[in-house]
Amino acid sequence: MTNPVLRARGVARRFGSQVALDPTDVDVNAGETLALIGPNGAGKSTLLALLAGALEPSAGTIERVDDVRVGWVPQRAAFYDRLTPRENLELFGRLEGEPDHASVAQQLLVRFEIPPDRSAYTLSVGNRQRLNVALALLGSPRVLLLDEPTAALDPGQRRRLWETVTALRDEGGSVVFATQNLEELELYADRVAVLQRGLLTFLGPTTEYRELHAEEIFT
Amino acid sequence: MLVRSPLLLGVLIAYPLLVAGLVGLVAGYGSSKPRVALVDEDHLPHVVAVGGHRFRIQDAIDEVGKNVHLVRMDPVEARRALATGRVVATLTIPPGFLADLKSGLHSPSLVYQVTRGGISSRVTQQVQALVYGLNRQLQTAYVETDLRYVQLIVTGGRAEFGGRTYDVLGLARMQKLLQKLPPGAQRDRIAEFARIAGVALAQTGSLLGATANPIGLERAHEDSRSSLLSAQVQSYALALTITFLALLLAAGAIASERDENAIGRLRRGLISMGELVSAKVALAAVVALGLGLAIAVVFGVIVEAGGVAGGEPWQRLPLLAIGLLVGGAALGALGTLLGALARETRTASLVAVLVVMPVVFLGLVPREVVPVAGWLSDGLPFAHAVRYFSASLYDASPWSTVVRELVWLTGLGLVFGAAARLATRRLLA
Repeated sequence: MTNPVLRARGVARRFGSQVALDPTDVDVNAGETLALIGPNGAGKSTLLALLAGALEPSAGTIERVDDVRVGWVPQRAAFYDRLTPRENLELFGRLEGEPDHASVAQQLLVRFEIPPDRSAYTLSVGNRQRLNVALALLGSPRVLLLDEPTAALDPGQRRRLWETVTALRDEGGSVVFATQNLEELELYADRVAVLQRGLLTFLGPTTEYRELHAEEIFT
Repeated sequence: MLVRSPLLLGVLIAYPLLVAGLVGLVAGYGSSKPRVALVDEDHLPHVVAVGGHRFRIQDAIDEVGKNVHLVRMDPVEARRALATGRVVATLTIPPGFLADLKSGLHSPSLVYQVTRGGISSRVTQQVQALVYGLNRQLQTAYVETDLRYVQLIVTGGRAEFGGRTYDVLGLARMQKLLQKLPPGAQRDRIAEFARIAGVALAQTGSLLGATANPIGLERAHEDSRSSLLSAQVQSYALALTITFLALLLAAGAIASERDENAIGRLRRGLISMGELVSAKVALAAVVALGLGLAIAVVFGVIVEAGGVAGGEPWQRLPLLAIGLLVGGAALGALGTLLGALARETRTASLVAVLVVMPVVFLGLVPREVVPVAGWLSDGLPFAHAVRYFSASLYDASPWSTVVRELVWLTGLGLVFGAAARLATRRLLA
C-alpha cells in the first residue's frame, strides 16, 4: 500500500527554449528509497531540484503532503565558501528552524568528520561533499533528496552515508537518490525511475527493473 | 568576509577615495572655466598703445582668462566650435576696433555670441567680467592720461597735441605772472580764480579715480575653507565612495549566491527572494553608513585640526548618517539588480564597475549644460546623494533639500529593489 509524502503532477521545466524535463508524474512514498537513473543530461538533477523546491516548475505542481520536511543534497555543493563548516551549519540550522542549532551543528561535524573551523573553500572535495550532506540533514527531514551523493566520497564515508540513509528509511522516512552507480541501485533502491532526455521512461520496483538491460539505458 | 581579506578591504576603501578626490577636483575645475572662442578680426598687434599706455594683449587675455578659457580661433572655426558645443561662446573683436578705441570719439564694442540653454547666463556673466576687466585697465590708462593733462594745466610745461609741441603756462606760473602786473581789482579777481582753480584741480585725481570705480572690491585675507575641503569635494567624495561600494558589494553579494549554489538551498522555503534582496540592500546600506561616517570623521578631524572656518563637521553627522543609510540602500538596490541580471560574481563586479562610471559622470555634468544628462541622473541615486550630502553638511536651512532628496532616494530604492526581486528568477535558472 502506497503512502505518498511528495507528489509531482505534470511537473516540467524549461530553461529558455531548452526542455530539461517533460511533464512528469512521480510519487515519493513514505518508507521507500527511489533511485533516479539515466545518462547525463537526462533530467535527474532537475527533477530532484524541483522536488526539493529549489527550482520552480515551468508547468505542473509539487505537493508536499502534510508539509513534510525535505532535505536536499545537490550535485554541486551548496554553501558559503567564505564561512567555516560550523558557521554554515549554524546559519542554515537557524534558517531550518533548529532550536539548538549550535549543538546540532557540532553533532553533524563530529558525525561526518568535517574540519569545523576552516573556511569551507579550503576543504577537500570529499569534505565538501560531507558538509553538503550534513546540511541536508538539518531540520530533521522526513524526505531526503540526494543527487549523486557518493561520487566524491571514500568507501568509509559512502558506507556511513548509506547507514544514515537507510536508518532514515527504516524510521519511515523517504529517500530519493540520483546515481550512475548500478551497485547502489541494487543495494538500496526499492523503486527505480529511469529518465532519458527529459522523459520518464520507466517507473517501477527494482525487481522489475532488473529484467531490463541497464546497459542499454546508459547508452 | 571583508575582515578575512584585509587586502581586498584596503583596495575597496583606497580606490574609491582616490577616484573621489580626482573627480572632485576635476568637477571643481571643469565647472569654473567655460571655453570661449576669441576671434580677432581686427588683427590686434602684440602690444597696443592707448591713452599713452602700452598694453600687451596676451597679458590682458591671461588676466581675464582666469575666469574663462579663451581660445583663439578664426571666424569659421569659431562658428563650427560653437555649433558643435566645443566652445560655449564666441567673443569677436570686429575690424576697426583698435582705431575706434584710440580715437576716443566713440566706444567700440566686442561682439558676443553664446549657446542656448541655461548656462548662457553664467557664460554671459563671465564675458561681462572679461569686458569689465579690460575696461578697468583702460580706465586706469585714461585716468592717468587725463591727470597728466590736468597736472599740465596746474603746473604748466611742454606738451604735444596733434603732433605739435606747445609750451603751456599753467595756473601756478600764471599766478606768478599776475603778481608782476599792477595791482587792481581785476588782477586780484583773476589771481583768486587761478588759486581756486589750482586747489580744485588738485582734487581731480581722486575724483577721476572715484568716477572710474565708484565701488571697489577688495579680497579680504582671512582664514577660509580650502577647496580640498569644500562642500562640493566632500559631497562628491562621500557619494562616490558609497556608489562604488554599494553597487559592487550588492552586485557581487547577490551573484555569489548563485556561484556558491546557496540560492537553491535558500530558495527551498528557507527565505523568500524578497528577503534575500532586502538582506543585500541592508548590507550595502550598513557598509555605506560605516565607511561614509569614517570619511566624514576624517574630514571633520582635518577641519578641526587645521582650524578651518565654515561648516559644522560634528553637529550634522546624524543628518548625514540618515543620507548615507538611505543612499547606500538605494545604490544597493541598484547593485542587487545588476548582480541578479549578471548572475555570475565576476560578471556582476565588472558590470557594476562599468555602470558606476556613467552613473557618477551623469551626476557630474551640470544640468544647465546637458539637460538630458540631468534627467537621466534624476533616475539614478548618485546625484540625489550628492545634493543630500551637500545640503546636510553645509546648508544653513537644509530641510527642504534633505527631505526632497530622501524621498527621491527612497523611491529609487524601492523601484530598483522591486526590479531586483523580479530579476532574481535568473539566479535560479
